[in-house]
Amino acid sequence: MNLDGSAVLSASPEQVWSVITDPAVLARTIPGCETLEQVGDDEYKMNVSVGVGAIRGTYAGEVKLSDKQHPTSYVMHASGAGAPGNARAQVTINLEPADGGRTNLTYSADAVIGGPVAGVGQRMITGVAKRMAGQFFKAIDAELTGTAVPVAAAAPSAAAVSSTSDASLVAGGAPVAAPSRTFAGKAGEHVRTSGDVQSLLMGAVGGALLTLIGVLVGYRLGRHR
Amino acid sequence: MTTKLFGEPVRRREDARLIVGKGRYLDDIGHTALAAAFVRSPHAHARITDIDVEGALDVDGLVAIYTYDDLTGPMAEPLPVLIPHPQLTEPRTNYPLARDVVRHVGEAVVMVVATDRYVAEDAAERIVVTYEELPVVVGVDAAHEAEAAVHDDVPDNVAARHRQETGDVEPALAASPRTLSFTQYIERSASMPMEGKGVHARWDADDRSLRVYSSTQASTSVRAAIAAKLELSLDTVEVVAPDVGGGFGVKIVHPWPEELLVPMAAIALQAEVKWAEDRREHFISSAHERQQRQDITVGFDDDGRVTALDVHVLHDNGAYTPYGIIVPIITATQLVGPYVIPVYRVQVDSVYTNTVIVTPYRGAGRPQACYAIERTMDRIADELGLDRAVVRERNLIQPDQFPYDHHLTFQDGRPVIYDSGDYPGLVDKLKDLVGWSEAETLRAEAAARGKHLGIGMALYVEGTGPGPYEGGHVQVLGSGKVLVSTGLTSQGQGHETAFAQIVASELGVPIEDIEVTTGDTRRFGYAVGTFASRAAVMSGNAIALAARGVREKALRIAADVLEAAPEDLEIDEGLVQVKGVPGTSIPLRTVAVLSNPLRYAFDEAAKQATQFTTHDDSKPPVAEGDAPGLEHRDYYSPLRSTFASGAHAAIVEIDPATWEIDIVKYAVVHDCGNVVNPMIVEGQVQGGVAQGVGGALYERMVYDQDGQLQNASYMDFLMPYSSEVPDVVIDHQTTPSPLNPLGIKGAGEAGVIPGTAAIASAIEDAVGRRISSMPISPTELYDLVRSPDSEMTAAAAGRAGTGVMA
Repeated sequence: MNLDGSAVLSASPEQVWSVITDPAVLARTIPGCETLEQVGDDEYKMNVSVGVGAIRGTYAGEVKLSDKQHPTSYVMHASGAGAPGNARAQVTINLEPADGGRTNLTYSADAVIGGPVAGVGQRMITGVAKRMAGQFFKAIDAELTGTAVPVAAAAPSAAAVSSTSDASLVAGGAPVAAPSRTFAGKAGEHVRTSGDVQSLLMGAVGGALLTLIGVLVGYRLGRHR
Repeated sequence: MTTKLFGEPVRRREDARLIVGKGRYLDDIGHTALAAAFVRSPHAHARITDIDVEGALDVDGLVAIYTYDDLTGPMAEPLPVLIPHPQLTEPRTNYPLARDVVRHVGEAVVMVVATDRYVAEDAAERIVVTYEELPVVVGVDAAHEAEAAVHDDVPDNVAARHRQETGDVEPALAASPRTLSFTQYIERSASMPMEGKGVHARWDADDRSLRVYSSTQASTSVRAAIAAKLELSLDTVEVVAPDVGGGFGVKIVHPWPEELLVPMAAIALQAEVKWAEDRREHFISSAHERQQRQDITVGFDDDGRVTALDVHVLHDNGAYTPYGIIVPIITATQLVGPYVIPVYRVQVDSVYTNTVIVTPYRGAGRPQACYAIERTMDRIADELGLDRAVVRERNLIQPDQFPYDHHLTFQDGRPVIYDSGDYPGLVDKLKDLVGWSEAETLRAEAAARGKHLGIGMALYVEGTGPGPYEGGHVQVLGSGKVLVSTGLTSQGQGHETAFAQIVASELGVPIEDIEVTTGDTRRFGYAVGTFASRAAVMSGNAIALAARGVREKALRIAADVLEAAPEDLEIDEGLVQVKGVPGTSIPLRTVAVLSNPLRYAFDEAAKQATQFTTHDDSKPPVAEGDAPGLEHRDYYSPLRSTFASGAHAAIVEIDPATWEIDIVKYAVVHDCGNVVNPMIVEGQVQGGVAQGVGGALYERMVYDQDGQLQNASYMDFLMPYSSEVPDVVIDHQTTPSPLNPLGIKGAGEAGVIPGTAAIASAIEDAVGRRISSMPISPTELYDLVRSPDSEMTAAAAGRAGTGVMA
């Protein structure tokens, strides 16, 4: 199935690029992101939890970036799986200058969804995906305009815990020194480390999309009109 | 003596279960199933521009949301045109969920599935569908004028032009001594079963099989439709009609969108899913019937004999034509009634409107047909100053004219040939029963009390029991229990009783030993459905044939054991015995055991059939051409429909203060050939009359110009209470059908057919004003009587000055 969307962000493409490629930013702006871990050049692992309706669940996934054209476009390859189902998507992200020093970000995803979640209907999935993308871009914009409120060291919800990366991240809910190159999301914890900021851009949009995708029903519902 | 229950008023065996709450209706199934609810169009004609589900996402318990985009393969195609016809040149059907345009209020747009119906409704309420409204067509006249089109590619709104003629009508009319031309209308009503539609589906992922319960009149065909639409092998789908709380025609239509969508969701979600229609849904998204405009020209001689009849009907088929033009065909062909019509031409233009689809409702085009011809008879009588009964009598087909060929083609594609009947006999009985000759006395007596009294009659002939076929299976178990099954479904008609009576009589077993199953594809896979007063005719005969097959086999086996000739044996009370030789007998249950040669003795009875017990070494245990088991399956497929008939008369009394119309007497003479159970037939007649009264005086679908159904609830849609339904006096006449083994004709719909015609005639007789639009309310009657434009009948003009008129 296809999912397209756009957002206008309050900064130049260059600034947007730097923010959306900052893994730490991504980790805290991707809705439901628990952890984001860099596993290679432009490759990340992440855990995202979704809490909407029937699409509730935690998804573990991988994101890889390619075709980076600083600061105008890149392609994100995302895949993920969780109890509710699995998803695979290729997302093209474009940044264009807009009026008033702003940036017009557009994304176009082609996704395949499987598993139980695949049965819930396309609009349900795209509805959740669009909502999460909206939350993500709103959070990104807050980062850009400096209105983002630092995340309190809130413990992740128990349900948000998932496998992969580092279980200690979420253990006990207290801030834990994370291994380098692992970033906790709002849903997990905010632990800032170095990070190849650039490549992390994927995470941002990627995370949201991964979440969305996780929900995208591909299965037998991916018919195009 | 032999057990003979055929023809006896056996108390309905199913009632005890049904009236103490032990019925198993659709909504009694699947308490833990997920529930579906629908977002339906609030507009009669609109283009969908957006569907926004955002608001629903936060509803706790929401499971899935489906729109047209989720439909794949055959599901993404329009629903089937169930009954194609060459004259249905522009068939149109909707999609299971609307694709781009909705064409009536109530058309399903989104299906929501949630943990329960409350949650599903809450979520559905939060889904925002945006529409661009389109011009709306309501009513047959607007459809005919075609200022707007319901379907873009059908600019004249005409789905079908159905024509039949038996001669050259125009010269015949021109040569007629007299002619009359007039127009009349009949409104919509609907089946309104107590239980609406409903579907429950369960997908067994391991077995990869689907079981669907549907409150349907056609489980085998629902099964086939689900298999086709969901691309499943037929053998993996089973459909069961559980107890069904009334059908009256609406549930013969299939597959309803919900019958496909609920199974689709059950498969997609790997969960049980259920939907039970609510009353508003039934009003706006099931089916209606009846609306027609009838333009009639009749030629006749000075004695009132019809010489030619030319009828043009505008038939409102609603927004789509899934059931083809069955209703128009029935109107067209049943309009000739019990009469000799030398030259007949009928044209029915079936037109699209932005309203709920029109498909058969008990009577299925016949009430309109009866209204057309019977009001014509009343007009002729009034024109000539003749008694209305006399005009009818002069036009009747006589008993020696059967089989009578009308040279028309019926709804089953077969000729309209009346198989048997005695129509003058009906009229004679009716006149006695209602007291036709005392009407003037009653009128005067009522006038003395300040009331207007009138009498009317209407006759009908009803084609019943159309094919193509039904089947029956009868099996005697080793326990003595007799299992009977047939594929057609039951909606409260008493099939469990009537079919058991037939088997008890044919087989000679106690009715208590008989169990009847209907509408369950696990038990009988081949069937057509319950409609057109066909269950007793079709399945009754098929079951009788099956029982005869069992009897023949039982006698053959018993003859071996008893060392007697089969023809010397009889079966009575479950015992096969040598006629006239008491004591030489074998229980039928033992015959059943012996019919199945065994190796293993799983119980005491089975020992009798094991290999060291049975002894005929000269032939194999199961002889060539034979089969194990005491059972038989047979089918009945008629050459054509059999034609039942009847006559109704109503006496009404009208209060000139309130114009309330009170039916003070209602008489029915009914002929459905041989009667299986007179109590059941009388119940059918009584129920039919109730719906006939409803159609004549109370029920209508009030659409406004925007296609909004304004009375879509039981607060506003008037159905008669028992207080409005008259006591009915019933007399029977029996002209057996020569077409089927049991000589029976259908009885299910008869009661409703002449109600509108007879009551219109009686009201007209009471108030002396032409009644040309039905139903009629007290308000409308008041307005009619007060209107300077209303036409006074000649009979009333003749009576003028007698003080009858207010």
